[in-house]
Amino acid sequence: MNKEIFLSLTKRLVTSIVVLLLMLSFLFVLLRCSPGDPTQKFISPKLSPKLALKIKESFGLDKPVLNQYKNFIVNLATGDLGISYTFRESVIKVIGKYLPFTVIFSLLSFVIQITVGFFLALYSIKRKGSWIDTFIKKFSLSIYALPSFVVGVLLVYLFSWKINIFPSSGLKSFNHDSFSFLGQLGDYTNHMILPLITLSLGGIAVFYKYLRDNLDETFNAHFVMNLRSYGVPEKEIIRRHIIPNSIGPMISVAGVELGILLSGALITEVIFGLPGMGRLAISAILGRDYPLIIGCTFVSGVLIIFSNLLADIVRAKLDKRILKGMIN
Amino acid sequence: MNIYNFKNYYMKKNLFLILLLLILITLFPSCSKKSSLVSNQVIVGIDSDIESLNPLFSFSGYENNISELLYLKLVQSDWENKSGTLIYHSMLAKKWQWNKDSSAVTFHLRDDVNWSDGKKVTAEDVVFSFDVYSDENIQSKLYDTFDNFVLDKSKHIILDKAFVIKDPYTITIKFKKNSVPSFNYVDLPIIPKHVYEKLDRKKFAVLEKEIAPVTDGPFNFAKWDKNQDIILTANKKSFLYNPKHIQKMIFKIIPDYNSRITQLKKGEIDYMEDVRTDDLASLKSLGFIQIAPLPEREYDYIGWNNIDPVIFKKKNKFVPNKFFGDPLVRKALTFTVNRHEIIDEYLGDYGKIAFGPVAPIFKTSYAKNIKPFVFNLDSAKYYLAKAGWKDTDKDGVLDKNGLNFSFPFYITPGNPRREFASTLLKNDLKSIGINIEIKKIDLQALMPRLFSKQVDAWMLGWVVGLPLDLYMFWHSNSEASQLNFVSYKNKLVDKYLEEFKSAKAEKLKSELAKKIQILLHQDQPVTFLYWIQNLIAYNKRIKNVKITPLEPIHYSWNWSVNK
Repeated sequence: MNKEIFLSLTKRLVTSIVVLLLMLSFLFVLLRCSPGDPTQKFISPKLSPKLALKIKESFGLDKPVLNQYKNFIVNLATGDLGISYTFRESVIKVIGKYLPFTVIFSLLSFVIQITVGFFLALYSIKRKGSWIDTFIKKFSLSIYALPSFVVGVLLVYLFSWKINIFPSSGLKSFNHDSFSFLGQLGDYTNHMILPLITLSLGGIAVFYKYLRDNLDETFNAHFVMNLRSYGVPEKEIIRRHIIPNSIGPMISVAGVELGILLSGALITEVIFGLPGMGRLAISAILGRDYPLIIGCTFVSGVLIIFSNLLADIVRAKLDKRILKGMIN
Repeated sequence: MNIYNFKNYYMKKNLFLILLLLILITLFPSCSKKSSLVSNQVIVGIDSDIESLNPLFSFSGYENNISELLYLKLVQSDWENKSGTLIYHSMLAKKWQWNKDSSAVTFHLRDDVNWSDGKKVTAEDVVFSFDVYSDENIQSKLYDTFDNFVLDKSKHIILDKAFVIKDPYTITIKFKKNSVPSFNYVDLPIIPKHVYEKLDRKKFAVLEKEIAPVTDGPFNFAKWDKNQDIILTANKKSFLYNPKHIQKMIFKIIPDYNSRITQLKKGEIDYMEDVRTDDLASLKSLGFIQIAPLPEREYDYIGWNNIDPVIFKKKNKFVPNKFFGDPLVRKALTFTVNRHEIIDEYLGDYGKIAFGPVAPIFKTSYAKNIKPFVFNLDSAKYYLAKAGWKDTDKDGVLDKNGLNFSFPFYITPGNPRREFASTLLKNDLKSIGINIEIKKIDLQALMPRLFSKQVDAWMLGWVVGLPLDLYMFWHSNSEASQLNFVSYKNKLVDKYLEEFKSAKAEKLKSELAKKIQILLHQDQPVTFLYWIQNLIAYNKRIKNVKITPLEPIHYSWNWSVNK
């Protein structure tokens, strides 16, 4: 069985590498075909027109696209994603500065989404048909429909401007370094509450909806009724039978959601001035920083593949039938 | 207690504890949070992070502002309002003398300026700076702008011919024969030789990133948290230091405009630029915010391609555009733009009708006698008819030789003022029988098409440089004037522009600038729309804010803060 799992994972890994390579190659061609020029920002009344030409040469953009592609593939094979045109640093180094925040921020938000969504669904289903169940259902739908920029701006207006209890932007205070460890932790928390709420609300609604629907279906399944008729305690039925049988689709969604979160949360990052991958990717796109765009896409692709794999592993762990399916 | 009640009880208890913990943690640092407001520091809200602190690569406005606070120049530019010209004060150089024919200038440097690592700033640093700024391998922002120096083939200054170091604090800079030297050509931040001289010049741009800034300006570099803030602290060893002035300057990166405004209102930041007129009332009502309009340096315009883009692309020939090749048509189109309405709607008291590329701040060069063409559809119809455009087939659209007067009109997205202006233009043009189709296109995509002269009509804006430079926008030599997107050609204008470029006397330059404005007004190569006064807003606790076209941050080491 272990050998089969190993083979399955290897197969998955090889497929993922091929998918990534195809995606990056497609992106490479797309970027070269798209209008705009990375050296555009070096054209201004204050600068010499020759500067843009020199910079173009140093970026290697004066060479034929095929040569550029060959260099790109060779560099990629050696783990070199190139030098960012904007930051004049290696792409890996630039991403390395932004990725840790995104990973922490996304994971925190993910945990909040899953936890709140899970308990809310459980709370709601136990009161199925009551006014509170109906209220949560309707309210979660409304929250899901609200774009995050509206939520963010509303939260800033309310908690930062009117009540004035949270800062409206940034990751930490200017005098953050002078705080004790606990003070620094508090400072981060103080700054992160509004962004986390903004980023998490939509996800909570999604997880709530998925889980509640599945729980509803399982609650009345024949095997559950059988268990009840045998006198198995309700707590036991919920913990051992209903939840494991309802959670599968939610884990699949969680895999996708985690991947999306790890790619950066542009709107939340912009509203709250946070240094994440979303802003980095957008600034790279606007500046036509080709190596950095490819680098960001590569990292996002890897994280999406990884989070989906993780979701599949968790599902397989919970349900052996899925593991067999994966191996086959 | 049944199992559900038991569970609920514990859930509620845990939730309560978690909430309590969160509140405690949240409130922990709040005592020190307010200290930033009362201490002797200023927080400037900016919309995007900078890419470099090194003046060699400070391409954007904020990069320039910050690097100029860190690195001294030989002389410091200032704006003289009375004459509307740049003047220069002593800075790293305490005094200077020009030689008799103004072909060389000798600077006597201050001997009390140190780099932040303790080494003295000397003439060697000055020569090294000019050396690297002009080196093609380094690709600095000033590469290929040293035309007044003796250069080699790669446009690098020949150091032996341009500089003579008499002693560590005396240096003579010699200019090329028949050049028109001025302090504008030595107006660059000096960088430390001992820090950068060993770097491989071909990899300089990447390698210098690894080195912590060694500076000599009124501020020292303290900290840079990417996409968060840049912190500068007053350089107590600088001759510019004054203990009564601000001790810390923080540039806080807040990408969202509304967040910047909210933070200004809350006192979380002290200063921001590019305030929209819609927010003026709410800012003024707070009582502690000062609004200051900066003198006009920015204008919007409508470009009418003077040449046929198709023929240019196929044959590289300049043939008059079928619509806009005729000055009469361009004049008619200017008559159809209701500039007053755009100004009233978006700029209010901070906009002024433009009729040429010389900003009103250049007081002696600004041709104030020119009367701009005001919105008049009858005049527009008259000039169009004079140019041969009539609705012969009675379909509501003007035509000439079987060609309908319809064209695409390009604007860039995300600028409500230009979107409003283009909609207004579309409606007014339609009323006189001209159809336009407004197309929104990303600036990055539009610019290459403008350079290749492939766009018929568009709306964009320019920020005019200091000192006044018209050559690269209006001369017909397409290599030397790449920014002449409309391919405007007028031999007399070319002649005046060349004379302007080589003129030494300010009076002659002013006269030539006025003549150029008159000719441009007659030819209407583009429709100049309006001059824009950018608005800055700052907390009234900041004192000594100097409002000139050079932006207030330029002088920020002189700011003080009321405690």
